[in-house]
Amino acid sequence: MSEEYDLVTIGAGSGGVRASRLSAGQYGAKVAVIELPFGLVSSDEVGGAGGTCVIRGCVPKKLMVYASEFSEAFDDAEGFGWSKVKPSVDIKKFLARKAKEIERLNGVYGQILDKAGVECIEGRGIVLDPHTVEVRASDGSVRQLKTKNILIATGGRAVKPPIDGAELAITSDEALVLDDVPEGGTIAIVGAGYIAVEFAGIFSGLGYKVHLVIRGEQPLRGFDEELRQLVGTNLGKRGVDVHLKTSPTKLEKNADGGIDLHYEVPKKGGGKKEKNGEKEEEEKEKGMISCHKVLFATGRKPNTRGIGLEDAGVQLDEKSKAVKVDEYSHTNVPSIWSIGDCTDRLNLTPVALMEGRALAATLFGGKPTAPDYENVPSAVFCQPPLGTVGLTEAEAVEKLAGDIDVYVSKFKPMKNTLSGRDERTFMKMLVHVPTDRVIGCHMVGPEAAEIVQGLGIALKCNATKAQFDSCVGVHPSAAEEWVTMTSATRRIKGEGKQLEPTTHKCGGNKAHD
Amino acid sequence: MKLGGIARQGVACATGWPRTAAAARRAATASPVLRHVKHSAQQQQQRAPALRRALTVRAEAAVSNGNGNGAASQEFDFDLFCIGAGSGGVRASRVAAGTYGAKVGICEMPYNPIASDTEGGAGGTCVLRGCVPKKLFVYASEYRETFADAQGFGWQVGAEPSLDWAAFMKKKNAELERLNGVYMKLLNNSGVEYVEGRGQLVDAHTVKVGDRTVTARNILVATGARAFVPSFEGSELCMISDNALEVTEVPKSIVIIGGGYIAVEFAGIFAGLGTEVHLIYRQDAPLRGFDEEVRKFATEQYALNGLHLHPLSTPQKLEKGPDGRLKFTGAKRSGSESSEEETFVLDVDHVLAATGRRPNVHNLGLEEAGVKMTKKGAIEVDDYSQTSVKSIWAIGDVTDRMALTPVALMEAMALTRTIFGDEPSKPDHQNIPTAVFSHPQIGTVGMSEEQAVEAYGNVDVYSSSFRPMRNTISGNEGRTLMKLVVATDTDKVVGCHMVGPDSAEIMQGMGVAVKMGVTKRQLDSTVGIHPSAAEEFVTMRTPTRELRKEAAKVAA
Repeated sequence: MSEEYDLVTIGAGSGGVRASRLSAGQYGAKVAVIELPFGLVSSDEVGGAGGTCVIRGCVPKKLMVYASEFSEAFDDAEGFGWSKVKPSVDIKKFLARKAKEIERLNGVYGQILDKAGVECIEGRGIVLDPHTVEVRASDGSVRQLKTKNILIATGGRAVKPPIDGAELAITSDEALVLDDVPEGGTIAIVGAGYIAVEFAGIFSGLGYKVHLVIRGEQPLRGFDEELRQLVGTNLGKRGVDVHLKTSPTKLEKNADGGIDLHYEVPKKGGGKKEKNGEKEEEEKEKGMISCHKVLFATGRKPNTRGIGLEDAGVQLDEKSKAVKVDEYSHTNVPSIWSIGDCTDRLNLTPVALMEGRALAATLFGGKPTAPDYENVPSAVFCQPPLGTVGLTEAEAVEKLAGDIDVYVSKFKPMKNTLSGRDERTFMKMLVHVPTDRVIGCHMVGPEAAEIVQGLGIALKCNATKAQFDSCVGVHPSAAEEWVTMTSATRRIKGEGKQLEPTTHKCGGNKAHD
Repeated sequence: MKLGGIARQGVACATGWPRTAAAARRAATASPVLRHVKHSAQQQQQRAPALRRALTVRAEAAVSNGNGNGAASQEFDFDLFCIGAGSGGVRASRVAAGTYGAKVGICEMPYNPIASDTEGGAGGTCVLRGCVPKKLFVYASEYRETFADAQGFGWQVGAEPSLDWAAFMKKKNAELERLNGVYMKLLNNSGVEYVEGRGQLVDAHTVKVGDRTVTARNILVATGARAFVPSFEGSELCMISDNALEVTEVPKSIVIIGGGYIAVEFAGIFAGLGTEVHLIYRQDAPLRGFDEEVRKFATEQYALNGLHLHPLSTPQKLEKGPDGRLKFTGAKRSGSESSEEETFVLDVDHVLAATGRRPNVHNLGLEEAGVKMTKKGAIEVDDYSQTSVKSIWAIGDVTDRMALTPVALMEAMALTRTIFGDEPSKPDHQNIPTAVFSHPQIGTVGMSEEQAVEAYGNVDVYSSSFRPMRNTISGNEGRTLMKLVVATDTDKVVGCHMVGPDSAEIMQGMGVAVKMGVTKRQLDSTVGIHPSAAEEFVTMRTPTRELRKEAAKVAA
């Protein structure tokens, strides 16, 4: 133990790689990063540089979205005069090409670290004490690293609900390499979050029969209500069988080698039982879906167990087991920091990158930097996709005082006038009337992710409605609608205390480098 | 009758004509003369009270006799009469009537997708023979590539699907007719009187449409533009973009003359449809005026897509063979500085001249009415779209400022505010985002690198070219270019450019940001949307080039 590091990072995902390479490359710190051996499906022994985003998240997911979107294109082409094609997809061929690309990217991440002078160590990293990390390699060898600072960037992983037969179900890791469902087979997806609706679109586009089982009344809790409704409608229009208010109770293997998913739904026409004057649960009835696979997309939990955090005295959130950090990503232990999904703040790659960059500036740049979580644009790659930045209508009402104008535009995209596709693009802009500030932009429709990025910049610049209006449209595009919304659809009253929306300082509070 | 000082100085409106009190008040606020007021900083600050006053006046006018228009029409048939129902004319007319309650008439020639001196149609170039049909063509032409890309993703497409061109054209034309109807309805619903026929100015307040003569307090000329074919031997055999949007079958081969956006868009469309495309242009790269790096990159992508590029070339001769095919003779210079030429011959089905557009100013009575023209043959207007004749205004392509639909719309909005809204408004032609729907698309807002260096001296350029994620699997060789141009001294992003899929959609939001004066620092503080192409614009950390005034001097 002759050498001492400035920073040892556990986990080479989006956040860990960014923090490590900037600390080493930009600030000259001596940095090591520890990561498990590469594999597409993660476990306590398998991981790989690039992390969830590159190996079992954003990237493979988007590639699958691309693959699945062709069925839409084949249909639409007919409307433009092209002859009908109904090809099938060679899923094994596609998955092999996808795997190759993921391996290439994994290599790229390794190179990025090398180039920045970061030492990459393969194995499982365990915190022994506030200044010591032990690396346990898969060959059984053990090595201890002394370090001034430790960064926990171990990410999160999918969890299954504790119901009977849950072990029969797969999670998103396996869904991204799923090659044994027969052509046209049936897949049931349990969950209402963005991962669930994304896979519903993917599998449906790839030609499988998809059931989406949702406990609540709409998918995508937390998103703007009107968007949620439209996403639900679009799923149905694209052939996904959406089961609302449906709770899975049990999974069983069936005689065909598939799985029976048993569930409960409120009884049709059934009322609420009353007992002793207190409301009881709704009357339920049982049902079953027989399918080839069940995918649980029912949430993710931070990877914080079994890596010595409790022993080192690092506080975890009681409920979520996320690492507790302050606004500088600092844990309660002075030498230990944590970023990314294992802190369960806003679980998005670009947010982890922002946290990684801020942390490097805090630790080695002499510039204590807090990441800014306001107006983070994001997308859901359902089909067509959703893009969003800023407050939802409900959040705006809750937070702000004063009138809020809601501009809504719903239109048939030009392409659909010929393709015949029965889908509308939806755009919604929220404007705080007293300040004229644009406080939220929400959209469902083709290219929503690409379109909302620029709007995100505008909101970060405290854009007013007048400033949006002063911009000339790009014609013909869908996005031009954002600068041509002339009259508000409705005016609502803010019920909150905030007199004006959060104002971003020039350049945010982020280091400029 | 008390009139404000401004109105009393007025030339056209405040003298001579008898009017009711309500009409006089309207004139005082709506007079075109108002625009002569120079807006000092102080006046700008007083804008809010002025606005309130405008509202009061309009309210009075409405109360006094229930319709201010009735008062106006005692003298003129219309408050505004518009010649041309394209993007600009329709917008100005329906806002003048619908929002401001003016009495408005508009004339337009009978519907025909191919424009002439006698035919046109509501919707104009954009809807009938421009933006809309062009984009539908682009959509139709993209599927061939989609089928190819699909195979990279494991789809077993088999034999290449065939295209029923007649079926596509029928649907396209049905859609255009529907839109034409929508425009008519828009006008009708806002209470604009539609007069079919060719409008001609008789004098400063009179327009003749066919047998009918109408008078108007204000006349708007919004007659647009049409394709111009340069004269060379056999040039009458060329088709123009109007015809290209009406071809009855997909040509096997085509020569496209021109290097502008229309030329490269049709090149992409026909190449996508499987046509052998030859692009003939005078410069060493198409798209003059665009950022040089963008031009170079786009040209490489065009070549990759199979376009036959003929730089430094001009048309010489066009002949029709007995089989109806065309023999195109061009001349190619041996270098951009050279005058040495070599001729070449191409046998093709069609030759499309996409060699620019000229304002529709002929036989409109403009000269008779005394309307001044620019040297280039457009109607000369001031910042408020007013011509040399006070009661005559012009917007859109006929003024040849920036020939784009959304610009015409902006000019129309500013015009109605100026004439009827008591708020002299200049359209702002700065930082207008635009797109070229070539293959690949180009999106751009603000200055090119070259313009920025000229304007600011110290410029940081961030440029990134990459293979879009989709192409890592599809095997498609296409690449994307994204570029930011930053004025170093102020950190302001003065230019933003992109070549690649979804450029048009991406550039709209960037346009809002650039228009707001976004700094590079603010871009950096925005979190990316992952995975997208657009996120590249907020994650460019290291300048590709740091161009400095001093260094340039030293080098010189």
